[in-house]
Amino acid sequence: MAKLEAKNIVKYFDHDGQPLKALGGINFTVEEGDFVCLVGPSGCGKSTFLRIAAGLQKPDEGQILLDNRPITKTGPDRIMVFQEGALFPWLKVRDNVEFGLKIAGIPETERHQISDRYLDMMQLSKFANSYTYQLSTGMRQRVAIARALVMDPEILLMDEPFAALDAQTRDLLLVEMQMIWQKTKKTIIFVTHSISESTVLGNKVVVFTHRPSTIKKIIPIDHPRPRLAEDETLIQYQKEISALLRPEVKATEEKS
Amino acid sequence: MKVKSLAKKTAFYLAIIVVWQGLYSANIWPPSIFPSPYNVGQTLWYGAIDGSLWLGIGTSLWRLAAGFAIAAFGGIALGIFMARVQTVNETIGSIILGLQSIPSVAWAPLAIIWFGLTDAGIIFVTVAGALFAVTINTYTGVKSINPDYIAAAQNMGAKGEQLITKVLIPAAFPYLITGFKQGWAFGWRGVVGAELLFSFLGLGFLLNIGRQLSDVSQVLAMMLVIMIIGIVIDGLIFKRLEDKVMARWGLR
Repeated sequence: MAKLEAKNIVKYFDHDGQPLKALGGINFTVEEGDFVCLVGPSGCGKSTFLRIAAGLQKPDEGQILLDNRPITKTGPDRIMVFQEGALFPWLKVRDNVEFGLKIAGIPETERHQISDRYLDMMQLSKFANSYTYQLSTGMRQRVAIARALVMDPEILLMDEPFAALDAQTRDLLLVEMQMIWQKTKKTIIFVTHSISESTVLGNKVVVFTHRPSTIKKIIPIDHPRPRLAEDETLIQYQKEISALLRPEVKATEEKS
Repeated sequence: MKVKSLAKKTAFYLAIIVVWQGLYSANIWPPSIFPSPYNVGQTLWYGAIDGSLWLGIGTSLWRLAAGFAIAAFGGIALGIFMARVQTVNETIGSIILGLQSIPSVAWAPLAIIWFGLTDAGIIFVTVAGALFAVTINTYTGVKSINPDYIAAAQNMGAKGEQLITKVLIPAAFPYLITGFKQGWAFGWRGVVGAELLFSFLGLGFLLNIGRQLSDVSQVLAMMLVIMIIGIVIDGLIFKRLEDKVMARWGLR
């Protein structure tokens, strides 16, 4: 059964007072336990799609169904991991991770038990009492992932979470992200501009066209895990996706 | 470094006293216009002994604290309301800057008519002085919050009061402190100014007594006390609070 179903999602941007059609009817389905990566030329609205799925923005047309119920507002069943982490600088790492639990009114001892588990999983235990500005960018993104996982969401929505990381840290997190997915069996929608990242992480890669964007192709990635970006099979996939994206990127360049 | 800075300060203040004493000794102006540092010190000493100085300080500080507390609370509420509700900003927000430009003591006549010569009237003037600075800074602070912080919090289920107390206020706190610093200074001017006009206890009242008795030592002594309280409150309370917050927010 479909976990999440996007039905003809249309969204306009406000471009200097002029409506600009960004999403031109997005249709695709995410199965329970899927790891779906969204790639597309910049400005194609893939992050906007994620925000609509999170209920942080409303589509102008169409709807997204979660377990057959239309998404109307934001909620902890779909937790978003932001590009810059969006961690709260006034809270320690542990308090950041426990934020949603505290909002939900879960008592302190239980909160600690849950946060301990995910701090440990993300190798953050010894930073529990640090403030986020004391951490490296990579560590901060681990905190952001831990903060999302403690909520035990139905779907994890990740918006280019590794875009700001250096190559070595990103490679490390790509390996860990696969392990987290295998361990937690979460359904994940992951937006990225990196083709290699999408083939390493996704068991499906959804390719967006340029604006007003639609789905160009959905490519199932058939390759055992743990995967590395330089795996021979993945390189074939990467070439295929590159070829699909090239005209879209070109069209985007010509328009701007 | 700290010792050196303290030494510089001490030398500076000693120099002021020496120059002051020198001018006094030169007999350019009569002592009834230009008192010596000793005269002023003596006035303070007498005031401390008979308790009038402490009563004055206590009364003024009480009024400041009450007025500031109301202004801080109201200013935060109003600032958040303005930042989050477009209509409020377009209506109330448009007059806040105008109200801010009214000197706090200009509220005193209204306060006297409404509240009479009472503590409430003086506190009203203090609130009018401090409120808008806190409001404007809170508004700016909430407007400058990274929108992802708010989106993330809402995504994790925060709304209403929880969103305000757990995200908006802490995220805007560095700005709130700026508002507090400006607000208390405006409020303090309001307290002293109102006391001058109300002539109802407090340091401003003692200052006015000095003028009525043509006691220039009393006038200077009270001005000195008002200034010292300003330095102490700013340095001991707000500077510390600011340092702590800046460190904790990783802004330094």
